Amino acid sequence: MVLVSGIGYSNLRDMSFGRVLLSTLEQMDWPEHVHVEDLNYGPIMIYQSLEASAVKYDRAVFVSAAKRGREPGTLHIYRWHGELPRDSEIQARIEEAITGVIDLDNLLIVCKHFGVLPEDVTIVEVEPQSEEWGSEFSPVVADRVDEAIQAVRQRALDQ
Amino acid sequence: MCFKNLPVEFDAQGVAHLKGGVVDPYAYRPREIKRDKLEELLARNGHIKDVSISPVTRVAGALSFHAVADLQERRFLEANSVATIFRGYEVILKGRDPRDAIYISSRACGVCGGVHSTAACEAIEMAFGISPPPLGTVLRNIALALDFLYDHPLHLFLLAGPDYSQVVVEATSPAMWEKAQVTEAPHADVHQFKTIGDIMKGLNPLSGKLYLDGLKMTRTPREAYSVLFGKYPHPQTVVPGGMSSTVTITDFNETYTRLQKMIDWTKRMILLWDDLTEFFYEYNPEYKKVGARAKNMIDLGMWDDPDSYDATYARCNEWGEARWATPGVVIDGNLVTTKLQQINLGLEEFVEHSYYENWNQNGNVRFKADPSGAPLSPNHPWNKETMPKPSKESWKDRYTWSTAPRWDRQVVEAGAYARIWTTAAAGLMPKNDFLESTGHSLKIHMPKTMLPSMDFEWKIPEVWNAFERNRARAYCMGYNLMVAYTMVLKAFDYLRKGEDRVSTQFEVPKGERIGVGFWGAGRGYLSHHLTLDNGAITNYQIVTPSTFNASPKDPFGNPGPYEESVLNTPILEDYSRPEDFTGVDMLRAIRSFDPCMPCTTHIYGGEREIVREVNTCACSAEG
Repeated sequence: MVLVSGIGYSNLRDMSFGRVLLSTLEQMDWPEHVHVEDLNYGPIMIYQSLEASAVKYDRAVFVSAAKRGREPGTLHIYRWHGELPRDSEIQARIEEAITGVIDLDNLLIVCKHFGVLPEDVTIVEVEPQSEEWGSEFSPVVADRVDEAIQAVRQRALDQ
Repeated sequence: MCFKNLPVEFDAQGVAHLKGGVVDPYAYRPREIKRDKLEELLARNGHIKDVSISPVTRVAGALSFHAVADLQERRFLEANSVATIFRGYEVILKGRDPRDAIYISSRACGVCGGVHSTAACEAIEMAFGISPPPLGTVLRNIALALDFLYDHPLHLFLLAGPDYSQVVVEATSPAMWEKAQVTEAPHADVHQFKTIGDIMKGLNPLSGKLYLDGLKMTRTPREAYSVLFGKYPHPQTVVPGGMSSTVTITDFNETYTRLQKMIDWTKRMILLWDDLTEFFYEYNPEYKKVGARAKNMIDLGMWDDPDSYDATYARCNEWGEARWATPGVVIDGNLVTTKLQQINLGLEEFVEHSYYENWNQNGNVRFKADPSGAPLSPNHPWNKETMPKPSKESWKDRYTWSTAPRWDRQVVEAGAYARIWTTAAAGLMPKNDFLESTGHSLKIHMPKTMLPSMDFEWKIPEVWNAFERNRARAYCMGYNLMVAYTMVLKAFDYLRKGEDRVSTQFEVPKGERIGVGFWGAGRGYLSHHLTLDNGAITNYQIVTPSTFNASPKDPFGNPGPYEESVLNTPILEDYSRPEDFTGVDMLRAIRSFDPCMPCTTHIYGGEREIVREVNTCACSAEG
């Protein structure tokens, strides 16, 4: 079983990359073993939902924007190493998550800490240029949309 | 006579008017902050230390805190509470359809957005002249009780709880930890933690049973909330004139089942916080001074009586006093009013030490009176205009994005504890089987589930400090739970009688209108003041609990509640060298207010060395 989602807030231009792409992904046809889910709520609630769910995923593919100091518009596709930070950092992520902060790193750390993430997690991540209020991507990020969708699809459908 | 400082008096019929013979009744002269002596001490004295808790914020509000500590005398000489982010909801809302306020203001908080939606709806209902049918009111009441059943465990076990955990106590007071391990917990038979040391171990972050159970228990009320309102924390179902949820008896049954699940856990947690509090007091009575401040608090009440609430300003005193949490202001421990109109008249916001322009410079006051003709200050939210003025941080001048709300020009704090206090003191709780207000306490009867039925009594405390804030919040879990429980039973009654309407038809009026939502958040007082013209918002002002609590000094020289509580806090932690100072007592004081959104902050010494990570926040930056 494969879990696919896009993570981010609405209306924050490039930072909404995951959220906007999720809408496109939701409208695509997928085989039965691929579930496209909206995980844009607090990561504590996500971990609790995954823990309670009868479906156990073997793989997850998440698309998002993340500021990591790269050239804006860089699309980075990688398998998440799954290493957890020190306890105080996990605690800080839980506290952010429980008070409603939606964020890819929070989701990964919280869900990994509570043992509900599959071993195989792929991240499709764009470096944002613009993160102010608004609904349009900056041109360098808009150029990456098709490529990112293709990457998500490919990783989700890989046998 | 409820006002001591404002120029307002009441006649025999209770009608308010300005005192005669006062030329400029609301005028005041701002007091200058002097810190020359402090600066001199800081410059020359090795044991006078500048302490900053600085945030790394991700979203929403952020709080940082600056203090000057005398590590030899073990006390704080100066305290400054700093809301570091301007979010500008009030500016965003201007010119919009009033219904947008329900959804936009909800985003002010990632935990309790529904309280903003509801406050916005109540303001709109007053302005539109509509009110919900009884089941609509009952639904809202259940929602906002469930919301707090998520909020309070979160604070008690994930945010404030770790301050009392083994890892913190052992590091900052080893002798206390030794004592805790051999001190039997008086209520161990109920909560199952044999010693106080076991409770402290349970509060250890990530691994402690209480921490993990607290996290788990946030799920149950959230599930019930979602069953009734579609989603959490930003419901799309709160609408003017009621709710848009389609609810059936099955939905209420599902809610009832989840409330049952929380009863035993709540019984245990109340007694556990009792045991922990009493242990600290016994170990060292000086802990009674941690976070201490005047017994001055404010609350607008909430959970409307479905048969009384009509959303009119003219009857707000009547429907306010019929609420399941009674509105009130407490000054020096005495309840001075329970009337919403008086609470509203006493409210003013000041910006002398905030990054805002004063909106009164041209002397034009939009509303000299409230809708009942009672005098209104130029500093009242209905007259306020949000005019951001970013400037350099200065402890003598401006240093925060929070305004300084005051009631009758006195510093009051807000919180769940203020809600239980005003309710307990007023003796106006509607008659029911589970809750009783005695005038000096709130009695809570919790029914049998796995544990037998149990009776609790929260008594108005003799001292007011960080520990009592937390203890009161634990009792509020029982209070909220039984309000929700009672409201679900009421919902069954309404459905049985065929009264299943949850909303009222309305049209957006075209003329000039005014309204206010008097409500409450998990952390207490919440007001939304609104004016409309031609179907659009002309002014919108939000005052949150953390606007009160995180406020800076006012023009009269009084520090805000966080500031005052830190100034009164003795430094009790163990340290032999200044660099070992962690600030835990100060942090216990600040966190006991339940600052709203979490921000990762770092407390650092003069060399900006990170000593310790903390989590705190301010919901106060709604400016």
